[in-house]
Amino acid sequence: MNMKRALPVIAALVFTFLHLPLVVLMMFSLNESRFTVWEGISLRWYRELFADARMMEATWNSLLIAAVATIAATVIGTGCAYGLWKRRAPLLSGSLYLSLVTPEIVTGVSTLAFYQFLFRYMDFRLGMHTVILAHVAFSVAFVVVVVKARLKTVDGSLEEAAMDLGATHWGAFWRVTLPALAPGMAAAALLAFTISFDDYVITSLVAGVDTETLPMVIYAMARRGVNPAVNAISALIVAGLGIFILLAERLQES
Amino acid sequence: MRRRELLVAMTGLAGCGREPRRRLNVFNWSSYVAKDTIPGFERESGVEVRYSIYESNEEMLAKVFGGNSGWDVVFPSSHLIGPMRENGLLAPLQHRWLDQLGNLEDRFQSPPWDRNLEWCVPYMWGSTGILYNKKLQPPPLSWADLWDERLRGKLTMLDDPTDAIGAGLQKLGLPLNSVDPEQLEQAKLELIHQKRLVRAYLNAEARDQMVSGDVVAAQMWATTAQQGMEASRELAFAFPKEGFALYADCGVVLRESKSVQTAHDFLNYLTRSAVGCAVAVEGKTATANAKARMLLPEANRNNEVLYPPASVLARGVWVEALPADGQRKRDRIWTEIKSD
Amino acid sequence: MRALRFWMLAPTRALMGGLFLAPLLIIAAYSFLTRGTYGGQGAPWTVENYTRLADSLYTVILARSFWIAGLSTLFCLLLAFPLALFIAQSGRRKNLYLHLVMLPFWTSFLVRTYAWMFLLRDTGLVNTVLQWTGVISEPLPLLYNEAAVVLGLVYGYLPFMVLPIFSVLDRLDKALLEAASDLGATPWKSVWLVTIPLSMPGIVGGCVLVFIPCLGAYLTPDLLGGGKSIMIGNLVQSQFTSARDWPFGSAISLVLMALVMLVMWVLQRRQKEDLL
Repeated sequence: MNMKRALPVIAALVFTFLHLPLVVLMMFSLNESRFTVWEGISLRWYRELFADARMMEATWNSLLIAAVATIAATVIGTGCAYGLWKRRAPLLSGSLYLSLVTPEIVTGVSTLAFYQFLFRYMDFRLGMHTVILAHVAFSVAFVVVVVKARLKTVDGSLEEAAMDLGATHWGAFWRVTLPALAPGMAAAALLAFTISFDDYVITSLVAGVDTETLPMVIYAMARRGVNPAVNAISALIVAGLGIFILLAERLQES
Repeated sequence: MRRRELLVAMTGLAGCGREPRRRLNVFNWSSYVAKDTIPGFERESGVEVRYSIYESNEEMLAKVFGGNSGWDVVFPSSHLIGPMRENGLLAPLQHRWLDQLGNLEDRFQSPPWDRNLEWCVPYMWGSTGILYNKKLQPPPLSWADLWDERLRGKLTMLDDPTDAIGAGLQKLGLPLNSVDPEQLEQAKLELIHQKRLVRAYLNAEARDQMVSGDVVAAQMWATTAQQGMEASRELAFAFPKEGFALYADCGVVLRESKSVQTAHDFLNYLTRSAVGCAVAVEGKTATANAKARMLLPEANRNNEVLYPPASVLARGVWVEALPADGQRKRDRIWTEIKSD
Repeated sequence: MRALRFWMLAPTRALMGGLFLAPLLIIAAYSFLTRGTYGGQGAPWTVENYTRLADSLYTVILARSFWIAGLSTLFCLLLAFPLALFIAQSGRRKNLYLHLVMLPFWTSFLVRTYAWMFLLRDTGLVNTVLQWTGVISEPLPLLYNEAAVVLGLVYGYLPFMVLPIFSVLDRLDKALLEAASDLGATPWKSVWLVTIPLSMPGIVGGCVLVFIPCLGAYLTPDLLGGGKSIMIGNLVQSQFTSARDWPFGSAISLVLMALVMLVMWVLQRRQKEDLL
């Protein structure tokens, strides 16, 4: 078999495999019928979706948590990447690396156990803050990796030059290195946002009474079986995040 | 350290924006309130109610067990009242705030698990049986029928150790509340044997799958089954010949609650005959409230699935709280079945 | 100089120390305690939770997790390698294709898993089409089994396999391939004898990036396996929620972590320096 012809075919098949399920999902979110029989285009499920208070609240929670966690993780992570730039910190790198490879379920249950342990001595409970803290904790490592990769392309001597010219260390960082880092930070923030928005495993374990997030709602509905509203929200998420990514990439390139 | 302060301020802001109204957090089974039940209470009391639902006792207990879940009112099944009390999770009920208790059926005024209603207010009761698609001929009328090869891949059992293990025990003619290690082992083997046929262990979720036809037989609670039957004419319900479990979901106030009196007001509100009636009509549930039942329309009041006749009820067995090691043995067996 | 660096690192140190290492220490401690009657944990200290894992019941689950993770990694590799090869050879369109590969990854993992539930159900699209075209008369039980789990995992982690392999293939010296064909090798042969061996680092890297998450998978076996193809991740979750056996769940978690670190150590000793 001629490889020149076989390879594109195989590649096309794999691409189809990758995209077909989502395309199908989005198509059927526009289906009037709740079953797999096509009954015409309709926005019915989207209307039901927006009328659902629980769904709207969960979306708001997810966005809020992701936004706060992203800002915190990006700031903290950038600082860390900068600190690791020219000198090593083995213990810190080690624990960051460990947090990257630890299975989500283990991170989730250990965080839950930690909170429950704290609750015995401090008077607070699971809620928005516990979820946000957990999200920041697991996102930081990703931010560090991305920003560090960007730092590799930054010339370290520029900062030294600035300090030779009289700038403080902080000033040099703020005005020389940070602007150069900006695209990397943007990429890292994007990554942190998507990770946080999409998280189910850890969030479901540490969420409190008030903090139902969108993945938690989707999961509950998915367990119940047939529900075209899940198709609709899925399509929105795919489209939303997709546009978000493309926009961010445009910004980065410009 | 500006970063830290920013973070704290942000999370503070996130928690901010809640009204200073009093809040009540209620965690309940699905379909246990009518459209206007919560808004009605909110209007009357001026309290904002956060209402969330769960599908299994285990799910609720896992959250509540730590003693700081944030919930004020939950609705455990009757057999959990004793254990929860012993673990210090419940606040004792103040009857002076519960003047509607007299509306309850006589047998629920002094139920076996809480003789003087010191800890709980019975809310809805029901039984566990078999929901099946009428296409199945002959129909599955006993637990043993759920071990039938013809059901392969189209059967669900409840994701609840009490019900699933109970079915196994009763199939073998053993007592529902058995803690005898040998009997439990036998039941475990039965259930592991059945697992090959089981599509999934699902609670109320199975009702939707029965309506859509993905599942043709399910171990199901009577009230959830009734809802399924309303959605699809093809479904029917059977009280198994070997016997079946009876349970009552009761409202309790958690000891951790910071709004104990409001919690009582809520329970009292639910026990009013008009409110109870509205819930029973909309949810198609079997209410423990005698006065509410009298207000029900004919079709609901005498529905045999929700309120089985005495002859059928005689086969029912109340689920009991079990002694410590018996409970551990059961929990262990349930894990073994689920992870087999 | 030092002061700034100290403050830059301090928040992360606090975060990792407080919200990652301390929790792990706590569950390490819990793993040696005993479960209370209805939950909770307390004295006596015991190793029972670990010895319990030697039970055939749990070794089966462990073995199944390795099996499913291994199978998923293999299928991922089989699908990803040709794709990576194609993209590496596609000249100007490289970036576009890379975007196309990454795009599904950026969307929600949960949504992507749900998409397969939607397709594979008895009344789902695959069965409907097959029945409609007359290939089968009864719906196939495509969902709620191990195969569905593998499918879901392969689908979810495919991009993780494509990218490392692509990055190695991209930097491959084309001259080597030309030399091979000059010596008479057919295109297939040069792939087999030249390309693959040279892209080993990328292949190994991809395998690690896929195998590790698959081993600790939780959501996919839960939704696509119907709670019946239980993997280690599910076992841990159930111990911490419905079974309320935190000591045992902690023991399993630590064993899982140990396994992950073992795999990492065996396959990728230098990776850490590259990343962090």
